[in-house]
Amino acid sequence: MDLQYSEADREFRARAREWLKTNVPAQSRPANGVSGAQFDRDWQRKLYDNGWAGVAWPEEYGGLGLSGLQQVIWYEELARAHAPHHINTTYVALMHAGPTLIACGTEEQKTFHLPRILSGEALWCQGFSEPNAGSDLAAIKTRGVIDGDHIVVTGAKMWTTDAQYADYQELLIRTDPDSQRHKGLTWVICDMKAPGIDIRPIRTMLQDEHVNTVFYDEVRIPLTNVVGEVGGGWSTAMATLSFERGLGFIGDQLELYERVCRAIDLAEKVTLEDGRRAIEDDGIAQRLAAIKADTLAIRSMTLADIAETDRTGMPGPKGSMMKLMVTTTHKALSEVVGEILGWDFLEFNGDRAAHPWTYEYLWSWVFSISGGTNEIQREITADRVLGLPKAR
Amino acid sequence: MYLAPEGHEIEIANAAADFLADAMPIDRLHSANSADMNAALRQHFGEMGWFALAVPESQGGSGLSVVEHVLFFREVGRQCGPVDVLAQGLAANAIGDAGLRQEIIAGTQGVALLAPDGDRYRLIGNPEAGLALLVTPDRAQLFSLAEIRAMARPALDPANSMGVLGILPAPVTTMDSSHIWRLGQLGVAAMLVGIAEASLDLIVDYAKVRETFGRKIGSWQAVRHPCADMAVRAEAARAQLWYAAAAIKEGRSDADVHLDAAKHLANQAALMNADANIQLHGGIGVADEHNAHLLLKHAMLLSRLFGTKRSLLGRLLNARLED
Repeated sequence: MDLQYSEADREFRARAREWLKTNVPAQSRPANGVSGAQFDRDWQRKLYDNGWAGVAWPEEYGGLGLSGLQQVIWYEELARAHAPHHINTTYVALMHAGPTLIACGTEEQKTFHLPRILSGEALWCQGFSEPNAGSDLAAIKTRGVIDGDHIVVTGAKMWTTDAQYADYQELLIRTDPDSQRHKGLTWVICDMKAPGIDIRPIRTMLQDEHVNTVFYDEVRIPLTNVVGEVGGGWSTAMATLSFERGLGFIGDQLELYERVCRAIDLAEKVTLEDGRRAIEDDGIAQRLAAIKADTLAIRSMTLADIAETDRTGMPGPKGSMMKLMVTTTHKALSEVVGEILGWDFLEFNGDRAAHPWTYEYLWSWVFSISGGTNEIQREITADRVLGLPKAR
Repeated sequence: MYLAPEGHEIEIANAAADFLADAMPIDRLHSANSADMNAALRQHFGEMGWFALAVPESQGGSGLSVVEHVLFFREVGRQCGPVDVLAQGLAANAIGDAGLRQEIIAGTQGVALLAPDGDRYRLIGNPEAGLALLVTPDRAQLFSLAEIRAMARPALDPANSMGVLGILPAPVTTMDSSHIWRLGQLGVAAMLVGIAEASLDLIVDYAKVRETFGRKIGSWQAVRHPCADMAVRAEAARAQLWYAAAAIKEGRSDADVHLDAAKHLANQAALMNADANIQLHGGIGVADEHNAHLLLKHAMLLSRLFGTKRSLLGRLLNARLED
């Protein structure tokens, strides 16, 4: 048990800090839309050109080939430098599609896609959930019929974040029409410019249109785009989700500490309706301090998990526990800030930069629902960590 | 960077678990006169060297670090070990006099714990012990129990006797250092993590065998989901305990911040998991013959030692981390 960083770790941190000092964009990200996506691409391109993209990805595919711990250091420095938030339109490409291709892709798929992901040239979206299959992912019905050297896809996907900006999609379909549940599924790379794709935005409670329904009408996808085996899509999809639950929210995990410190600063300044400063209210002060302790524990859990993953190679089921801890802490922080801000918390026009705390509050539901709801994370923890009898 | 027991740390944790399950099993608390640590048990611990894990070799100890100290006390917590074990271990680290130190390490001289209670003190542990230890964040003092008149009070927690007293005599010895407080805070946090884990283990084992409506209760989401929340609390408290122990071992300047957070997380995890364990057991959970209430009552005692919720959160609010 030790907290020692190697000489290489320390040197990497110093270099990252130095570079970020002068290279973080001065202007904030434009609110959602094409210009927001372009901002994300430009920032990723800048990281790539300066040798900061894909910290823990293999060197042969354009990454830096460093350890998981160094990736943590990178995200810590990003948070410290107030760099652009890593959950943006590059997120699915960098946090799920890339790691899934590294783990399960063919040589051709890796050589073609990974450098494009790292350079921000290719944005990805996820096509797992459907109108009638969300938490129960194995109930998906979107059909893929093999026709020569292609799969012809017909059906619908839902809650697809940033589909309107994406170049590719990680698409999970049922290729065996007689199959049930986890069998007969296939994970394919779908070109979002292919004929037959229709994207319709869904307006959310955040007053934005970041999620969509995507319809597929006989969309032809080459068989060479299958990742893993035809009919073996479930195991590829589980790899994708383990990356999302394991390290997908690492930036948020490490940033929560910074955010609670900002909330404490806010409570020092804001006057409550009874004339006292918010920090003088015992209830508010205790909740802020307890959340601060939780953010330290989240950081410790992250470091423990990364160190373990660096030894074993694959993220374990503890990612679900991490996601529960992070999403509940995130929500608790938003709620106490809502109390501090009083009426001001109710001013909102959908702009994250203008109303960051209210945005974070609304976003806390996206956080606790996407990538597997908190209820599903509890199910996974009950099954895979605790070994309780199956509920289903 | 590695935040879990490894190598010889695992061996020490396993040896402690085996020893304690035999010498001080939680089931002992269903027998009469099982509170505290009696002289025979104390000497049995002493023969095995458990009180001197973190005492330097030059002073007759094992010369191990706070990490091994924490691993031992986590196992003590799992068995609802009395506070006497901690007081004895802390005193072995606090005493300058070589002769008395050897008696404490060997367990031939017993030590109970004093805890401030407004303008009074609580005496926790064996009232027949020779010495009592009082620890504050920057000082540790040993008093002769022969000179102390404590009035016995009925104790909610069957693991420890409790007394109350107003005035302390002159100390036998004083050590001006924050070292003993840190060892105490780590030790209690570790015991609380052990309680949080033991509570989780009890309900998980029960949920695999107990049936309602023709199904194992562990298949009902009303039981599964609170169990998952218990697992998260235990995991978070454990990870923060490892971080705090390693930070103190390595002398990080912000180690005390991590230690306060570790104690807070451990308080919460132990109290909430012990509570949930009783509730999820149903009727049997409130039976005296069951161990569930023992874990809760001991957690309530430990949560008041070496950092209450109010004091920990008060310090954490403005604490800053090392850059």
